[in-house]
Parts: sequence; C-alpha cells; structure tokens
Amino acid sequence: AADKIRLIPQDFFAELCEQIIQHLNHKIPGVNTAELCQRIQTSGVDVNIGDLAKIANTLSFLFSTAARNNLSTEELITTLGSGVSPLPKHAVQVIRHVWNEQGKAIAASEDAGNMATVGQFVDMKWKLGVAMSSDTCRSLKYPYVTVTLTVADPSGQITDKSFEMTIPQFKNFFRQFKEMASVLETV
Amino acid sequence: QLVSALHNLTRHVVYRGLTRAEDILCLFPEKFHQNLKNLLTKIILENISAWRNEAQANQISLPRLVDMDWRVDIKTSSDSIARMAVPTCLLQLKIQEDAALCGNNPVVSALTVELSKETLDTMLEGLGRIRDQLSAVANK
Repeated sequence: AADKIRLIPQDFFAELCEQIIQHLNHKIPGVNTAELCQRIQTSGVDVNIGDLAKIANTLSFLFSTAARNNLSTEELITTLGSGVSPLPKHAVQVIRHVWNEQGKAIAASEDAGNMATVGQFVDMKWKLGVAMSSDTCRSLKYPYVTVTLTVADPSGQITDKSFEMTIPQFKNFFRQFKEMASVLETV
Repeated sequence: QLVSALHNLTRHVVYRGLTRAEDILCLFPEKFHQNLKNLLTKIILENISAWRNEAQANQISLPRLVDMDWRVDIKTSSDSIARMAVPTCLLQLKIQEDAALCGNNPVVSALTVELSKETLDTMLEGLGRIRDQLSAVANK
C-alpha cells in the first residue's frame, strides 16, 4: 500500500483521510471512493479504484486502532515509522495534521451505529420511464421504474446499485416498504 | 433457409406490432399457397402476444429486481453499549444482471442493506413520489 500512497497527490490524500475520519466519527455515512478515484484520474494520476479502496481500508484500520488505543499524535507517527515500508513524507504530514485535529474525537463517539455488519442505506434516486421502441418491437410503450440505491458497505466504501422494476413489481416494492415502516413503528 | 424465413416473418410481425389477420396476410406474396397462408397467419396470431411479452422482457435493460426479503430486528446490546432497544430493518434485494448479456446463465447478486427508521422514511417518501407520478401519467 505504501507505494500506491506515493502516487496520490497530497491534497487528494488529505481529502481521503478527512473522509475516513469523518466516517469513523459517524459524521458521514461512508467514503466516496468511486468519486474520489475519478477526480484523481481526471487530474492525470493513474490510480485504479481497487488500489484506492485498499488504501482507504488500511487508513481506516490504522485510525480506528489508534483511536481504540488512545494514541497521541507522536505515538501514531512513531508506529507508522516503524512499519515495514516507510510512508512518503507528505503522507505522514497529512496523517499527523488530520490526527491532531480530529483523532481524539473518534474515541469519544460510541453509538448504536457502530455495528455495521451489512451495508448501510444512504440514499435512493429514481426515474420513471417508458420504453417506446426497441430492435424487437417498434411500438413498445413499456413503463418501468429505475432505482439507484447508494449504499455504504461495512468497510465504509460508498457504492451505487441500479436496477429496474416493472410497474407491478414497483407496487409490491412500495407495499413491502409500507409494511416495514408500520412494523418499525409498533416494535 | 425455411427456418430463417419464418424467423424473419415472425420478427417482422412482432416488430411492427401487427395484430390483425389482414395485415399479416398481405405480407405474403400473391401466388402463395392459400391454405398454408391462412394456417401460418392463424398460428402467428395465436402466439403474437406471448412473443411480444417476451420481446418486452428481454429488451436491453439495467439489472432487474427479482426478489426482495426483509426483516425487522431490535438491537439490544453490543460491545460498546450494554443495553439499548434500537429497531432496525434488514433488507435483501436479489438483482439479476441484464439477461441479454448473461445468456443462459443469469447472474443474480444479493444486496443486503440495513435501514434505520429515518432512512426507511426517506425511501418511503421517494417511493410515494414515484407512485404519484405513475398515477399522473396513467390519468393522461
């Protein structure tokens, strides 16, 4: 991971660390790796999303372990230095700064949201469309609903999942959710 | 050649959405055998709606929802909090990738998501809006 970190420009690395700390503080639901990766690539740096995800995971683990052990900034930096492959100077600088500012806050925030064993729902976007025509049928007029769910997986990475539903499926979908809501009320 | 010709004929009928016998009959050339023409038209008419439904189902699309399961739990304790009573909802969606891309082995992936009361309400609000749009479109 250390070599890949070397590739990431300092300001993007800082942004990544910020997002990770905010996620650990439960301020944001997850780290938007896909979006960050795209911006890094647009700036001309060749880094793929798998590598970025691994780096994010490593940093997340680093910060949460440090929080659990109540490490001070100096202790954290010393531990980093004693690792197998040394991190580039700019990365250490960013970590030092971020930990100084927000590291203490992580240890203090404990709440029910801490046990994420499955993905956490973040947002839903939808679209109602009518397929007018296709290569098999000139006049289709087939209505459908497209939904994009934004989900933060247990490690904190945010991904989107899109799918389509027919209208009867959508009606069933809606009905199930209303039922879930009423059960949640009464429980 | 025969199979290919029949295939073309049926595809043409489905594509154009022909539903009347006359429309199909006039597709055949003039000297075509009368009884065979009528028989073919009859068979095509019988199958046309099934074929059309299949065409609709197999068109290019985003992955499709095939199943959904849900469960409501109450979180009573954890390693960080000894006692609590937080209701939470677990939802599992089974999503099948585009049938056209997978051929005979459709790939079904499961997406498991946890929803709190707030997020569930957000979902419901969004779904309600879709429902309103649907009724508005249906009434036009």
